Formats: sequence, structure tokens, C-alpha cells
Amino acid sequence: MDGSIGIWIFLGVMVLFAVLGYNRLVRLRNMADKSFASIDAMAKKRYDLIPNLVATVQKYMDHERSTLTDITEMRAKAVSGNLSDNEKVDLDNKISRAMGNIMVAVENYPDLKASKNFVQLQGSLNEVEEQLSAARRAYNAAVTSYNNACQMFPSNVFAMLFNFKTKTLFEISEQERQNVDVKSLFG
Amino acid sequence: MKSLSEFKAYYNKEMLPDLELLDKRRKTIVKRSLTVALFTLLAILAVILAYHLFEKGPDSSSLYYVVAGIIIFLAGVVTGVIWARDKTFYKDFKRQAIEPIINFISPDLTYEPKNFIGSDSFQRSRIFLKNADRYKGDDMVHGKLDKTNIWFSEVKAQYKTTTSNRKGRRKTRWHTIFKGLFFIADFNKHFQTSTVVLPNRVGNGFLSGFLKEMNLARREKHVSLEDPDFNKHFVVYGEDQVEARYVLSTSLMRRITDFKEKHRNPLYISFVNSFLYVAIAYRKDLFEPNYFRKLTRFSIVQEFYEDLHLAISIVEELNLNNRIWTKQ
Repeated sequence: MDGSIGIWIFLGVMVLFAVLGYNRLVRLRNMADKSFASIDAMAKKRYDLIPNLVATVQKYMDHERSTLTDITEMRAKAVSGNLSDNEKVDLDNKISRAMGNIMVAVENYPDLKASKNFVQLQGSLNEVEEQLSAARRAYNAAVTSYNNACQMFPSNVFAMLFNFKTKTLFEISEQERQNVDVKSLFG
Repeated sequence: MKSLSEFKAYYNKEMLPDLELLDKRRKTIVKRSLTVALFTLLAILAVILAYHLFEKGPDSSSLYYVVAGIIIFLAGVVTGVIWARDKTFYKDFKRQAIEPIINFISPDLTYEPKNFIGSDSFQRSRIFLKNADRYKGDDMVHGKLDKTNIWFSEVKAQYKTTTSNRKGRRKTRWHTIFKGLFFIADFNKHFQTSTVVLPNRVGNGFLSGFLKEMNLARREKHVSLEDPDFNKHFVVYGEDQVEARYVLSTSLMRRITDFKEKHRNPLYISFVNSFLYVAIAYRKDLFEPNYFRKLTRFSIVQEFYEDLHLAISIVEELNLNNRIWTKQ
């Protein structure tokens, strides 16, 4: 009789551990998902600036027509939705590169560089870039603690039992590690 | 920012003549105060002696002599104190020993010796959550350095606890929440939520993560950042994980770490409503005259210069004039 009570207590404790461990994993996974959503939100803010950027620079830029068309198309694709997370990240990187190119090209147009519209836009772009980078860093921090929970004992046991998979981190480029400063591109 | 040797040249040319005069007054004050103290001591001895002499006699009127003696003694002390003090010395000290240093560092700054950062700003910073029962300060400096508005002053915030012993006698004790320099600047980015950077008192070892999470008094949650040097010195709490990182960019973390490593004093920083708050704790009273040290010694003024420079250099050290975002 005494022995069976012991077993029941043991089982009870095990169930309690399983519930707590499972809930912790769910909480961490939700946090990671939420921070992915905030990257999305920041990326959308950046998409919103693209038509503005194109409108401001195209009056001055003659040789970069194709880049401007490309970026407009990429934006349209990004805004249309129905992309997987990986495709989104990929497209985002392409857009970053295209915008970087435009910013470098601006160097050849002193009138554009000095225009009030452009200076204002540049401030907004810097802001969005830095917010985007902050969102990525927040995502990486959330994913790191989720991945730690998936891999460390004892929570890895529950992760295996309930099929929690580790997530991949955002690669943060060297350029992004530094203070995002579009101005610095102009030397 | 100008160098120390430039300051020394300025000191010799602009400040020294005034300080020499001021130092003469300081010496007079000290001499007179010592004289009063000496006479007071002698008078006390005389009263005690007189009392003992009269006590032996049969005459009860001796008491009147003692009372008269005490009255004369007190009158003497009061006259002495009035004679020894120099009403305007303190004011002139601030005007001639502190204000020129601020003018040297930047002519765009204004100095108000009696003014200080208000307790509402102190509270708004969310660095210290404890309500202050006593709050005072002085030596306010404010102005605009290039694109950044700054304000700072010395402040001291305390709270009290009252305990009763077994006899029911109440005892009040004062505890210091913060004493030192309190600095406010208009930050170069817009943000809505609060982020607080506190000294890391629990280290980064076993259980430290748990302890950092457990700060229940705060509505801000622990923000785990990626810079190991920064984490060695600080622990961060923020209302919004993304915005905390937007404010604390990787380059700003680096700059804060460098700033901290240059100065040993405990450093508290917060970002609230697009303002930056920095609290630098000091044990000593700042920008006060020491009556027993020569004012004309450069090291004395150098210390004032370094403490002022520390606060004003925050703008440069944290790159606050870098306005590449939408906030101008």
C-alpha cells in the first residue's frame, strides 16, 4: 500500500514537470513567432517607403531606370503576400541590396542629394533600417532562448516528445552590425 | 572637446586672479572661525571654573553670576560667528570657481548654482522606482550643444523608515536612493516605451539569468542583449523587446561600455519618451568649496573640471548629435 502511494507521488511529480516543461516551450516558441511578426511589421514599413523613394529619385536618375523598376516589382511581390517565411527573407535581402545601390547612385546627383525631400526620406529610411535590425536582433534573442530550451536537458526531452523543432537564426550582416547609417554610404 | 592643457592655460589666464582673491577670503574665514572656536573653548573652561569656585562659597547669589556668565558667553559666540562668516563667499565661489569652467567647456551652457533637476524628472526616468521622501540638489547646468538639449545637476534623493522600539519610542532613519549627477538629454531617436540600463550586480554566472528575470518590481521585462562586454557591466529592462534594441543599437552599446570603462562610478541609464536619462553615483558632494584646502591649487579646480566634463561629454561619447533619423 505504502509503495503504491510512492509511485503515485512520483507519477504526479513527473506529470507536473511535463506540463511546466511543455508550457515553457510553447511560451518560448510563441515569443519567437511574435518577434518574427515584428520583423514583418518593420519590413512592411520599409515597403511603404519604396514608392516614395522611387518617386523622389526618378526625376533625377536617368541611368538607374532598371533598378527602380526592379525594386518596384519586388515591392509589389512582397506586399502581395502568400510568400513563405524563407521567400520573404530572401526578397527582403534583395530589396536591401537594391536600396543600397540606389543610395550609392545618389552620389552622382548632387541636386537630389541636397533636396529637402530626399534628406527627409533618408532620415525615415535610416530609421526603418535600424528598426528592422532591432527586430531581427529581438527575433534572434527569442529564437536563441527557444533553441536553448529545445536542446538543453531536461526540457529537450519534452521538446522531443512533443516535436518542437529548433528554429534558424537570422544572419546579421557585418554592415548591419554597425550603426545603420545610409549617410555613411556617401563617404 | 577641449584638452586639459588648454584648460590649464585658460585657468592661469582667466580664473587664477579671481581665485587668489577668493582664497584670501577663505583664509580669513578659517582664521576667524578658529579664533571663535578657541575663545569659545576658553570661555567654557572659565564658566566651569567659576561655577566650581562659587559653589564652595555660602552665597546663593553665585547662581546669578553663573547665569550672567552664560549669557555673556552666548553673546560672545554669536558676535564671533557673525564676525567670522562671509555671506557672499559661497555665492562668489560658485561664480568664480565653477561658472568659468562651464563657460570654458561650452559657451552655450547656462549655470544656475541654486537650481536642480526636479523630482518629477527624476521619477520619470524610471531608474529608481522608490519614492523619495526627501529630495534636494544644486548646481544646475543646461543648454543646447549643437543639436542636443541637455540638463544636469547634482541631486540627492532619500527615503525614510520609521521603527518603534519596545518602549514605543519612534526612530526615523534616512536611506539614500541616489546621490550624484543626474543628466537628461533629448535623445536622437523617437521612441514610446521605456528602456532601463542598470548596473549588473548579479554577474553572468550560474542562476544570474534567473535573477535578472526575477525583477518583479519593474513593469519592464529583462532584455537579453548580444554584446558580452556590455552584459558584463549592465542588465537591461524594457517594455518592448524590439524598441529596446532599436534604442540600444550595437554601436550605442559599445559606446556605453567604453564610457563605463573610463569612469568607475556606478552608472544608470534610461530611455523614456525620447529622452535619455543618465545617473552617475558619487560619494562626495560635487562642486563645493573645501575651506581647508587652497583654492589656488590647480588640482582642486581640475577635479571640478573633470566632474563637469564627464557629464557634458556624454553628448559626444554617446554620439547624440548624430541626427540621421527623423528626429532633428
